[in-house]
Amino acid sequence: MEVKIERENAVVTAYLIGRLDTPASLEIAPQVNGLSADAGGKVILDCSELSYISSSGLRIFLTLRKAAAEKGGKIIVRNISNDIRNVFMMTGFLNLFEIQ
Amino acid sequence: MTKKQLIPSKAMLLVVVAAFTLEATALVQFWFSQKGLREEAELRAESELEATRYEIMDIIDQAEAAVRNSVWIAQWCLNVPDSLGRVCRRIVEDNPVVAGSTVALVPGYRADRPLFSPYVCREEDGSFRALSLATEEYDYPHQEWFVRPLELREGYWSEPYIDEGGGEMLMTTYSMPIVDAKGTQAAVLTADISLEWLKDLVGRMKVYPNAYCTVSSRQGQEMVSPPETGIDGKQKTFVYDSEVGRTGWTLSLIIPENDIFGVLRRVGSIVGILQLLGLLIIILMLQSFLRSERRFRELDKQRERIAGELKIATGIQMSMVPKTFPPFPERHDLDMAATIVPAKEVGGDLYDFFIRDEKLFFCVGDVSGKGIPAALVMAVTRTTFRNLSSREDSPGRIVTAMNDSLSSMNESNMFVTFFCGVLDMANGVLRYCNAGHNPPRILTDAIRALPVVPNLPLGIMQGFEYQEQETPFRYDDALFLYTDGLTEAENAAHEQFGEERMDNALHGRKSAANHLENIKGQVAGFVGDAPQSDDLTILFIHYLPNRFQIKLKNSIDQIELLPAFVEEAVKASKLTPDLSGSLNLALEEAVTNVIMYAYPEGKDGECCIDAEAKEDGLTFTITDSGKAFDPTAKEEVNIDAGVAERPIGGLGIHLVRKIMDITEYERKDGKNILTLTKKY
Repeated sequence: MEVKIERENAVVTAYLIGRLDTPASLEIAPQVNGLSADAGGKVILDCSELSYISSSGLRIFLTLRKAAAEKGGKIIVRNISNDIRNVFMMTGFLNLFEIQ
Repeated sequence: MTKKQLIPSKAMLLVVVAAFTLEATALVQFWFSQKGLREEAELRAESELEATRYEIMDIIDQAEAAVRNSVWIAQWCLNVPDSLGRVCRRIVEDNPVVAGSTVALVPGYRADRPLFSPYVCREEDGSFRALSLATEEYDYPHQEWFVRPLELREGYWSEPYIDEGGGEMLMTTYSMPIVDAKGTQAAVLTADISLEWLKDLVGRMKVYPNAYCTVSSRQGQEMVSPPETGIDGKQKTFVYDSEVGRTGWTLSLIIPENDIFGVLRRVGSIVGILQLLGLLIIILMLQSFLRSERRFRELDKQRERIAGELKIATGIQMSMVPKTFPPFPERHDLDMAATIVPAKEVGGDLYDFFIRDEKLFFCVGDVSGKGIPAALVMAVTRTTFRNLSSREDSPGRIVTAMNDSLSSMNESNMFVTFFCGVLDMANGVLRYCNAGHNPPRILTDAIRALPVVPNLPLGIMQGFEYQEQETPFRYDDALFLYTDGLTEAENAAHEQFGEERMDNALHGRKSAANHLENIKGQVAGFVGDAPQSDDLTILFIHYLPNRFQIKLKNSIDQIELLPAFVEEAVKASKLTPDLSGSLNLALEEAVTNVIMYAYPEGKDGECCIDAEAKEDGLTFTITDSGKAFDPTAKEEVNIDAGVAERPIGGLGIHLVRKIMDITEYERKDGKNILTLTKKY
C-alpha cells in the first residue's frame, strides 16, 4: 500500500495505491491522518488505484471527514471502483462523501 | 501324446519309403544286369563251343576222310588179303592224325582167312609198326569198332578207350564197313586217333576264370574230365552243351555262376552296403532331427511356461499398485488416474498412493533395467515405501530412509529414480522429495515443471540426505507424474515423444481419467507400430477440495494471507469469482477482531479458519481460543447518521452482516466459533 500526496495551491490530493486492508491501514494511518491539518481546505482522495478497502480503511476516511466537518473543509473521493462503491453503499459512506 | 507318436511313425514311413525305393531300384538294376550277363555268358559259351567243335570236327573230318578215301582200295584188295596191310600203312603214313589203322575181315568171308586183321600203328619215334589183331585173346570180331559199323552199315566212331598196347593213351576209332562187289559185308576199315589233343583243346577254353569243359561220349563216358581243383560241388553252375557231329560226343562248357555274376554280386553287395549306410545315415539324421525338434518343442514349452509365469508376475506386480479407479469414490476432493504400460511382460516402473490422516502419500518410480530383476526391485521399493510412509509424514525422511534401505541390500547395483509426494488435503500443502526422477508437471493456471532438487536416485549412496521441498497446492491444481517411458517413447523414425508434446497434451481441464486416456492416445498415435521400448507410467492427481483451512497467528499482517484463501474457497464453491473481494472483506473484519482483541497483548494466539463449499453455500468458520466475544451481539450501526454522529468504529461487524447471509456465534469448549455463510 502506498500513498502519494500532492499539494497544488490549496488543494491536497492523496493517491491511494493498492489494497487498503487492516495492516495497510495501520501503516498509512499516520500519513493520512496528517492530512487533517489540511482538512480546512480541499482534500481529494484519488482511489483510481485502490482495489480494496476494509473497515479500518473506512475509519481513516471517516476520521478525515470528521476533521473536515469541524474545519469547514471539503473531502472529495475520486474514481472509486465498483467494489469500493459497493462497500461505501453498505456503510452509508456514499452519503458522507462527495464522490466524483 | 498322440502327436508325439505321430511324428516318429511319419519318419519311419519316410525311411521305409526311401529304403523301398532304393532297394527296388537296386533290384531292378540287378535283375537286368544279371539277365544281361547271363545272355552274354550264353553267347560267349555258344561261340566258344562252336569254335571248339569246329576244331574237333576238323580232326574228325581228317580221320574220316582218311578212311573213306581208302575204302575203294580196300574193296579192291579184298581178293588179295595180304595187300590189305599196305592199305593200312598208307592211311597211317598219309594222315598225321591217324595213330593206327586196320582192315579186319568179317569172319567166314574168306575161308582161308577166318580171322584176318593186319594193323599198322605209328611209333613214338615216327616209325611204323605192323602187327596183327587176329589173335585169340583180342577177339576182334566181338569188338565194338568191328560190330557196330557192320550193324549200322555206315561209318562209326567207337567209344573212347584206353589203348593198352601203346602209351596208355585215350583213343577212339573210326570204322567203316567194306562191301564187296556183290554187296556182301566183307571187312571193316578203321583209323585210330588219339584223343590227347582233345584235353589240350578244351583246356584252352577259358571264357571265365573258373569255367571248364568236359567231353563225354555217346554212352556217357567222360573223355575229358573236370579239373580236380576248382569248383566245389555246392556251387551253382551253368552248363552249355554242344554235340560234336557224327561222333556222338557232347561238349559241355561248365561256367560257375560266380564267374558270371561275381562282379555283379560284389557290386551288388557294395551297393547294398552303401544303401544300408545311407539308410542308417538317414535314420540317424532323422533321429537327431526329431531329437532337436523335440528339444525345440520343449524349449517352446519352457518359453510358454516362462511367458505364463511372467504373466503371473505381471499380475502380481499390477496387484501391488492400486488400480481401481476412482480409488477413493467417497472423496470428492481427489480425482486420480494412473497406469503402467509395461514394455516387457514385467517392468520396473511403479506408482503407489494411499491416504493416511487426511494426507495423500504418493510416489512414482522407475527401476533401472527391465524384466524380472527390475520387477523384483520395484516390488521391494514399493514395499519399502509403504512401510516407511505408514509412520512418517515427511517425504524427505521417507526417501532418505528408503535410500538407506535399498542401498544396503543393493548387490545388483540397480537404482531407482523416485518421486515421493505428500499432499496435506486439509490445507493444500504439497511436500515432496525427488530422487533423480523426471520433474512432474504441476497444472495451475499454466503448465510448468515442478521445481525439483535433483538429488540422487535411490540405491546409489547410502546415507545421502534427501532434500524435501514444498509448494502450495490449491483447488483445481493438478499434478502429472510420469516416467521417461512417456517422453522417450519412440516412433518408427526413432523420434521421441518429448516433453513438448507431453506438455501440449496436458492443456485443458479434464477429468483425471480423460487426461490419462488423452495422453495415452496421443503417445499411441505418435509411436504407431514401433515396439514399446520402455515401461510407461503415468500418475495424475487432480486436487478438488471443498474444505480449506488456514491457521493464522495473532499478528495483523497475517491478514494478507486471506485473499488467496478466500479466492480458492470461492473457486471450489458455486459462487462467482467476483464475490471473492467482498467475502474477503467480511472475513478480514471478523478475523481482525480476533487478532486484535481475542488474546492479551504480547501473548501468542491462533485463529483458525475453515472454509467449506457446501451444497447450498460457502461457509467460513473462524475459531479462536481467546476471551469470549460475540460480535453478533453488537449493536447495529446507524449508517444514515450524519458525519458528526457517526461513530468511528462498529463498521466491521456491520460489513460482515451485510455481506454474509448467515452470521452465527457460538462459545464452545473455551472457544469462540463464528460461522459465516454465503448462500448461492
